[in-house]
Amino acid sequence: MSSVYRHLQRIPAALNRLVPLGTCVVLWLTWVGTSLAARPEPDPKAGEAAYQQHCARCHGVAGKGDGVDARRFYPRPRDLSLGVYKFRSTASGTPPSDEDLFRILTDGLPGSNMPDWRHLDEPTRWQLVAYLKSLAPIFTDAAPEPVAVSGDPGLAKADLAAGRAVYEKLGCAACHGALGRGDGPSAATLVDDWGMPIRPRNLAQGWGYRGGGEARAIFLRLMAGIDGAGMPSYQGAVSPEEAWHLAYYVASLQEPARWHPIVRAAFVRGPLPKTAEDPQWQAAEVTDLALRHVVTPEGAWTSPPTVTMVSLRALYNEEAVALQAQWDDPTHEAQPPGDALAVVLQPQGLAGDVATLQAWPASGAPSLDVCYWSAEGPHAHEAVVPDYEAVRREGPGRVPLISQARYNEGRWHVVLVRPRRPAEPSGAHLIGPGASLPVAVAVWDGGMAEARAVSPWIDVRFDADRATARHE
Amino acid sequence: MVLAIGCGASPPQDAGAAPQAAAPAEAPNPASATPAGSAAIQGAIRFDGTAPAREKIQMAADPTCQQQHAAPVLSEAVVVNDNGTLKHAFVYVKSGLSGSFAPPSRPAVMDQHGCWYEPHVLGVQANQPVELRNSDATLHNVNAKPSQNPPFNLAQPVQGMKTTKKFAKPEIMVPLKCNVHPWMSAYIGVVEHPFFAVSDASGAYALSGLPAGTYVVEAWHEKLGTQTQSVTVADGQTQSVDFTFKAQ
Repeated sequence: MSSVYRHLQRIPAALNRLVPLGTCVVLWLTWVGTSLAARPEPDPKAGEAAYQQHCARCHGVAGKGDGVDARRFYPRPRDLSLGVYKFRSTASGTPPSDEDLFRILTDGLPGSNMPDWRHLDEPTRWQLVAYLKSLAPIFTDAAPEPVAVSGDPGLAKADLAAGRAVYEKLGCAACHGALGRGDGPSAATLVDDWGMPIRPRNLAQGWGYRGGGEARAIFLRLMAGIDGAGMPSYQGAVSPEEAWHLAYYVASLQEPARWHPIVRAAFVRGPLPKTAEDPQWQAAEVTDLALRHVVTPEGAWTSPPTVTMVSLRALYNEEAVALQAQWDDPTHEAQPPGDALAVVLQPQGLAGDVATLQAWPASGAPSLDVCYWSAEGPHAHEAVVPDYEAVRREGPGRVPLISQARYNEGRWHVVLVRPRRPAEPSGAHLIGPGASLPVAVAVWDGGMAEARAVSPWIDVRFDADRATARHE
Repeated sequence: MVLAIGCGASPPQDAGAAPQAAAPAEAPNPASATPAGSAAIQGAIRFDGTAPAREKIQMAADPTCQQQHAAPVLSEAVVVNDNGTLKHAFVYVKSGLSGSFAPPSRPAVMDQHGCWYEPHVLGVQANQPVELRNSDATLHNVNAKPSQNPPFNLAQPVQGMKTTKKFAKPEIMVPLKCNVHPWMSAYIGVVEHPFFAVSDASGAYALSGLPAGTYVVEAWHEKLGTQTQSVTVADGQTQSVDFTFKAQ
């Protein structure tokens, strides 16, 4: 029983790898769920009431995408009066199908601020679909033209090498990059309907595919395009057979996210690794942390959040802890303002509370123990400081840390080695045996000095018993 | 009254523009619908002021683009000809026509060549086929953002690809962008009849084959706005109507 339960828990992560059983179960549940409820007759009053209650806060009272929270969002909420919908199963320039709209309401748009609305009953969701259609003339002026979805070879028969060749032929790398990390040469120039900068999807992050990460969804995005964004429709430019190979190839680029609740540090006998390539890292479990973009004081975003996730690993011995952080950043910037990483610890005897790095630094907030690496300088440093600027500057109490960094195909690999009992700076966190070390991470994409992405606090667990066991 | 403007003479070469496409041999426009009359309106689009410097386009992001240009490529947003006239103004009969005009079956061509739209401004009749062509060995996407017609965003990844689209409703103007090459920009003017033209490298335009009548003629420029003039023209007559846009 418990093993079945554990399996079920793993299904969301396993979906990225297209485990056939898990996929079937989930698809079947979805099918049963959507087919049972009858679709009600449209009732404009009910639709509008539900809209004003649930949608207007972001999408605006009249659906113009200008709700009170809109400015904080990346990307901006849709202007529903334009009738331009990104995630359709219909040809570019034609409206979405009713089922497309229902699916978006039901599933939300993962990786964006659009939540799922499963808690609304299905008749209410259908009323919302009818109401959304009343907001834009395209729904009366044009009919949806469904994209033909047929010939799915299935994962077993998909030709990933052929898919890779199609990826090259179609020029996908121009925006999405050679390995799909969203680091192509045109990536930084994309803008949306409002002229706001947007970014191509990082195809390695399956959890961030707004319209779904499975091959069928990718096939639809390719053929239908993402109207309102840069992604064009390839209908007529590629055969369905090629498109399926490509869809499975793109799905294969997805790296399953490992959202573990802790970072489990692994004990090492002897010296710690000083480079990211060291094979000792294989002993350390990877924990992925989703990052939140810190918005400007006015609450608006000035640039798209390019760094959305950081992967942490930790190794330790009696003397020190080696942390490796990996994150995707589409541009490598070593000139000021360069790409940078802060691994933030809580100082000994922390006075006060820092709930999240989202609100730090702030006046009156306590100082934190910041291990700071930047692509600009040769050394990483640590200091107990009231803000990030203080650790960037030369000054008393700032001590160098061993570090090594490598940037490859849109991805940073940074290793920081930090003594467990630091003599300096005073107040720095002491990592005792069997300890649990809360850390949080901030990442800067140097090209956008204001743009900072931060993680929540997470515990790095130093398992003394396990260490002893390995010793013996 | 009757002006003989040498529209057929070869215009001076515009050194800053992209090389002319080798492929399209079609004359740009006006379209091929049967002339409905024998009146004509023609003139020049003049520019008053100091010509703004044309931005130098950086194509380094895509070597396939850069390799096609030996000389610097300059923005076509405001092109002031050597004779002080404006290129790329779209001139059309805005009102005064009656009856309907069947769209030509011959497609108007919008080519992508040297990572550049050719022509920069194109006029078509509503429901006339528009052939979008990629003459480059690199990915282009045609991201059309009309407000009266349905928008579309089509990929043309392979050299030689052609896609035919139609705009059913008149619209001044339909902007085209390429997201892969953000410097690429073009405009398509969609009108209900064949009486439209784009000012050339001598700043001239001509609307011929008009029925006798009184018309409002509009000149549109992407940066300098629009202007209208009213003109009455009789059968067999050619009226001269010049427009002057001031520097901004």
